[in-house]
Amino acid sequence: MSGKRRSRSLFNLFFTCFAGLLFFYSAYLFLSNLDQLFVDQAAVETREIIEVWGEDREIMNEFGGGFWKDAYFWKSLNLTFAITVLTTFIAAVLGIPAAYGLSRYKIPGKSFIDVLFSSLMVMPGSVIGICLIVMFNYGPLWKLQQALGFKFAHSIFPGMVIASLVLSFAFGMSAWKAAFDSVNPRFEQIARSLGSNRYRAFRTVTLPLAKSGIVAGIILAWTRAMAEFSAVLFFCGTFRELPPSRFSDLTKMLQMDQADWVSVAVWAQVEFGNVEYGFALAFVLVLVGGISVYAMHRIGAKGYVW
Amino acid sequence: MTLTSRGGWWPALCTTTVGAVLAVYVLLVASNWIYLGWHDTLYFFSKSRMWERFWLTVWTATVSTSFSLIIGIPAGYALSRFRFPCRHLFATIIDLPIVVSPAVVGAFLFGITTRFPFDWISEHYTIYIGRNVYGVLLVQFTVTAAFCARLMKATFDMIPVKFEMVSNSLGASPARTFFKVILPMAKNGIIASMIVVWARAAAEWEGLMLFVGATEGKTDIMPFAIYLDWNGGMMGWVTSMSIVCILMAVSAISAMKWIGGRSNVW
Repeated sequence: MSGKRRSRSLFNLFFTCFAGLLFFYSAYLFLSNLDQLFVDQAAVETREIIEVWGEDREIMNEFGGGFWKDAYFWKSLNLTFAITVLTTFIAAVLGIPAAYGLSRYKIPGKSFIDVLFSSLMVMPGSVIGICLIVMFNYGPLWKLQQALGFKFAHSIFPGMVIASLVLSFAFGMSAWKAAFDSVNPRFEQIARSLGSNRYRAFRTVTLPLAKSGIVAGIILAWTRAMAEFSAVLFFCGTFRELPPSRFSDLTKMLQMDQADWVSVAVWAQVEFGNVEYGFALAFVLVLVGGISVYAMHRIGAKGYVW
Repeated sequence: MTLTSRGGWWPALCTTTVGAVLAVYVLLVASNWIYLGWHDTLYFFSKSRMWERFWLTVWTATVSTSFSLIIGIPAGYALSRFRFPCRHLFATIIDLPIVVSPAVVGAFLFGITTRFPFDWISEHYTIYIGRNVYGVLLVQFTVTAAFCARLMKATFDMIPVKFEMVSNSLGASPARTFFKVILPMAKNGIIASMIVVWARAAAEWEGLMLFVGATEGKTDIMPFAIYLDWNGGMMGWVTSMSIVCILMAVSAISAMKWIGGRSNVW
């Protein structure tokens, strides 16, 4: 009997080791970089040599590149949060009816739709970005934009929303579809046999039953929008160095001018040589991602696989 | 009884939304073909530069997928079956590399490769992990290992615990149960997940931007080459390589669906 128990615990230990390995790898990956926030002597000396940085040198040699003093840091966070919330809202408004339709009604070519949206999730981000830029600037929509006198690409308001919406919508819709699939259609049929119309049956029966899945889908869509990098990089680019006249009064009022998408800002700062500042931004992303994934795990989200 | 009073507008709205969204996404995916045209696509497909990059992508993705599977299958089983305190926190930390932006993960890989296991490896075995193909493999592994564990957890979650209990009660050891009962039942799911993990590894490029950088013919796997050629202004290469990437993703997902991955997991 004890031999059996020992083999059971050995078996459990073997499998737990692999999960533990992944856990420690991931934790080590993020924790081992905490010291990148502090400036070391070599970086200070290198910055003395290079002329370009000029008077920026002093602030760059502070902890985390002195991020709390820089308006760019707060403006970028403000911009990214505002745009992702807007994106999630648009994704929910379009995605919840679409997911319900895909889950309940007979729509021709359902397997095609399934393959298309699933393959978006394993498509490289650069391909999504290129597709967007080709579609809007090299394709049929260019004439439309010229007629409207309005540009989608390289802009904050429609550009960033479009770029982050592509994948955010695809992920959100798969989660919402899974949520509706898990609700038995019979409840709705009973509600309809008792005299409520189709919309009321959806609103009063299916929606409350699928609530946790829908909330998880909203969190997922928001997290995916926050994690967007390549589509924004390709479609919008960076805004920090643009002249103030390039920004509208509304963006200035909302404190979004001369600011970048956070993950793009991380890349730009690290490439520029402002590594501590880039890592300060990166840790914000890690914190935000961690909190939202923890929330998804607590809700017990189904249908969410990155 | 009009259409409105029966709520007939609601199915109509749902179906119209699906149609509109589908039209936009099909246009998005097909825009490269519309721009490039059939003749130019064939021209770029006949170049050897394209296929060198394609094979580089295929073999790096295959190697990193096999490493991910070695860790991902047991880890997914452990996450699916065992209950331990703080397991949500545990799962969150495991998920972090796929949840934060991959470009940020690339930046974080800088720090880890100068520390304990990696500096030891590079000192003793003269394998430098950084600006070469090993760096590509590390980036792909970092992102897909967690992804693989998550997919495998979903696969094992679908198999009822009942079968294991029956097998154990009939006297089979846990290891025998795992290999003779659970793995054969999970076979389709594992193969389906394997294909998706492979496609995800082949799609990884953001981490390479900061961590690896570009060497023509050595580290420029296809999604990264798209970015490089875009910066070089080579629009024909960019669009033709996007077409190859789209075809890779679509065929991987079709194979996954054909083998029988369930769509609601995914």
